[in-house]
Amino acid sequence: MAVAPEDFPPPFEAEDYIGPPTDAEDERLEVGVAIVGGGPAGLACANKLMQLLADEPELTERLGEVPVAVVEKGKACGAHLLSGANMKPAAMLELFPDMDPSEWPAYGEVTDDAVYLLTKNRALPLVPMPPNFKNEGNYTVSVAKLGRFLADRAEEAGAYILTETTADKLLVEDRIVRGVRSGDKGRDREGKELGNFEPGSDLMAKATVLCEGTLGHLSNSALDYYDLHGHDPQRWELGVKEIWEVPEPLTKVIHTMGWPLRKSAKFNEFGGSFIYPMGEDKLCIGMVIGLDYTDATVSCHDLLQELKTHPFVRKLLAGGKRVGWGAKTIPSGGYWAMPKRLAVPGMMICGDAAGMVNIPTLKGVHYAMHAGMYAAETIVESLKKDPESVDFSAYEGRVRGSLIEKDLYQSRNMRQPFEKGFFVGGAIASAMTATRGAFPAGHWDQEPDDAHEMSIGKGAAGYPKPDGELTFDKLGSVFLSGNATRDDAPNHVKIQRHVPREIAQTWVSMCPAQVYEIPEAQLANGTATVDVDVTASNCVQCGAITAKGGRLTMPEGGDGPLYQEV
Amino acid sequence: MADILVYALHDDDGVFNKNSQGAISEAAKLASETGGEASVVVVGDVADGAAAGLGKYGPSKVYRAKSCPEGLAQPIVDVMAKVITDNSIGYALFGGGLLGFEIGAGLTARLNAGVTMEVTAVRVDGNKLVAERPVLQDSAIVDVGYVSEPGIIIGRLNAFDVKESDTGDAEVIDIDVELSEWSTKATMVTRGEARGADVKIEDAEILVGGGRGLGEKDNFKLAEDLASSLGGAVAATRAVVDAGWYPYSTQIGQTGKTVAPKLYLAVGISGAIQHKVGMQSSENILAINKDQNAPIFEFCDLGFVGDLHKIMPKLTEAIKAKKGS
Repeated sequence: MAVAPEDFPPPFEAEDYIGPPTDAEDERLEVGVAIVGGGPAGLACANKLMQLLADEPELTERLGEVPVAVVEKGKACGAHLLSGANMKPAAMLELFPDMDPSEWPAYGEVTDDAVYLLTKNRALPLVPMPPNFKNEGNYTVSVAKLGRFLADRAEEAGAYILTETTADKLLVEDRIVRGVRSGDKGRDREGKELGNFEPGSDLMAKATVLCEGTLGHLSNSALDYYDLHGHDPQRWELGVKEIWEVPEPLTKVIHTMGWPLRKSAKFNEFGGSFIYPMGEDKLCIGMVIGLDYTDATVSCHDLLQELKTHPFVRKLLAGGKRVGWGAKTIPSGGYWAMPKRLAVPGMMICGDAAGMVNIPTLKGVHYAMHAGMYAAETIVESLKKDPESVDFSAYEGRVRGSLIEKDLYQSRNMRQPFEKGFFVGGAIASAMTATRGAFPAGHWDQEPDDAHEMSIGKGAAGYPKPDGELTFDKLGSVFLSGNATRDDAPNHVKIQRHVPREIAQTWVSMCPAQVYEIPEAQLANGTATVDVDVTASNCVQCGAITAKGGRLTMPEGGDGPLYQEV
Repeated sequence: MADILVYALHDDDGVFNKNSQGAISEAAKLASETGGEASVVVVGDVADGAAAGLGKYGPSKVYRAKSCPEGLAQPIVDVMAKVITDNSIGYALFGGGLLGFEIGAGLTARLNAGVTMEVTAVRVDGNKLVAERPVLQDSAIVDVGYVSEPGIIIGRLNAFDVKESDTGDAEVIDIDVELSEWSTKATMVTRGEARGADVKIEDAEILVGGGRGLGEKDNFKLAEDLASSLGGAVAATRAVVDAGWYPYSTQIGQTGKTVAPKLYLAVGISGAIQHKVGMQSSENILAINKDQNAPIFEFCDLGFVGDLHKIMPKLTEAIKAKKGS
């Protein structure tokens, strides 16, 4: 039977997370600007706001006691951030013009890079290198560390960072965004209040900036509520990443394509790996796969384990030790999938939450930061003119006139051809890069990830048995993510709990954190539909379930991973 | 020379906490290595014999503050701060437990001291103490020294073993401590185990841990029978607690309790790292599992690959027969 995840939609209504404030008026918390999400976008926005407000004493006064508040669900800013990442330095240079790059939390400038096509036993260097992979002049960073760094700068400048706080509901009155409501804490699995129960609060703001990152809870709800979805549906890729301590320093940035992904168009497996140096004694290695694949047994976590058994990769890790692990989705719909508007009265959407990622060049961090800065500039400009203004549409113009729009437009059709298989797709994509997107022109359509029909194939056949040294199981990985979520917390993962085996298997295999399980008794009994058990406390909030038929909502603030360096 | 002060917690029946006993034993050993002295603080209504009896773990003195209530952090901070200051004591050592964390933190602030939490071992370096503390999800150990005295060392649960010696009774010294104003704001209403544990699995010397391999809720009976034949208690993994097979108060692991019994019998437990961190300090680990690739076999002392439903009843029977004879 061929079934698609979209036929089994989660029990979720965006309207449940959008509504007017509910606290009594004198109990609401007033802030100037509420920024949702302490990542590159949100923290660039906070830093830029504080810089601009330093010259605007009158406006600062009007913004009140807390001019800028950043709401962050992780234990710290950076705790939920994960990326490659080779960052283009432009945004950092713009935000901190007086800071020398040596002060950035970076592992240095990229001086050399290479791309390999892997077969089962060989690694063939691609010469000349596909131009989209060139990273010379970029800086290798850990966004988990970048987040902490930007948060420290923002706090020093006077922004308030509210960690371990979720933004659970978008406060909207007469279709104007008035702030966010933070999530409750201290409920048990059935939702009952425990001894340490703390209700959420209405956080009223003159401007709200959604910088929630990939698959944002409020951003996606707002896209539905305000009908902001782009021309194409958004789609995502899933990345799983490890940090290794190694005896021999890696000297160049490496990308691989091909094995262990299957190249036939039938499987629709688009992706590859990245291996980046992190100073003298560490490197990171990650595997990325588009979530439009069709074999229910595909597991990105285990593809990464398999990748590490390749002779070429094994050599890079020889004598090393795994010290970090994490997983995250990446928006990959590109230009056509960006929301059709980025601002509504009272609110703006920045960064990954708005799909500002250039997949061919694997870049997004600097777009997110630029967008955050544009939002900051727009807020100051609008509120200076009129303190009660909710019109932030100038943000739209700033983004549309910037390199974010230009870059994403050039690569607008780059991802789609890979549905024709690896080699045909690769050839078309190279032609697109060479012609800066002019050929082949027009608009190549995209389907949402959850519309692809799933079948149970043999994707898992090559996954290695974990040996605890080079290869690991999912629970061992979750442990290394720093996740120690309270077991009796309410389940924040919304899915249908009784579905066709193909759908259940898709979730079980896809999830890198072993959140979903088919009960043992049903594993082998052949029934067409099975139950799905959910261990929500394992969840590292990568977001993949939302892309593939479920919906991730906000857990309790502070839950989830505590990424240090991924 | 390093003098060390330990706080000993007792329950309403006057029984001293096992982690406190361990901390006293450890302090006595460390102090003697440096030629210093270990002493203990007890508060509340502790009988002369019980206080002096703590001497069997090695300390020479027991300071008793009768007027100070047991179980509240702030009053005990007052008492310990006074004892440390009056006697120029170099270190305060706490066994694992939340109250110890709170008192230790308060004492640190009060005395402007250095502090190390979640300590798993302490050693002597010259005349000073060095605390060892696991970091990065226990993947590495850091040594923490103290640049000034006093130094506060707060152990992880079950970090220190209880050791009795024939050192005889300790000298009991009654002290009067004037409690700070804020220390009297809270009063103890009732003391109890918040998680509703009727069995204290942390204190059991023999534990039978049941996992998903038991198959269904009713099969916990097998674990209970085995535990009772051995005179031990039953513990559980997160997966089975999650499934509602056994109460949360028995959960062992990263998000449950940490135990270190003399014997841990893992039945139907695969041994995921989240469980391992809660029981890896057990003296002897014995595992029964049908999957020979289960990670538990990599760190147990003795492992049986086989069907636990067949093995457990026979094992229970054999133990009963042996004990009966």
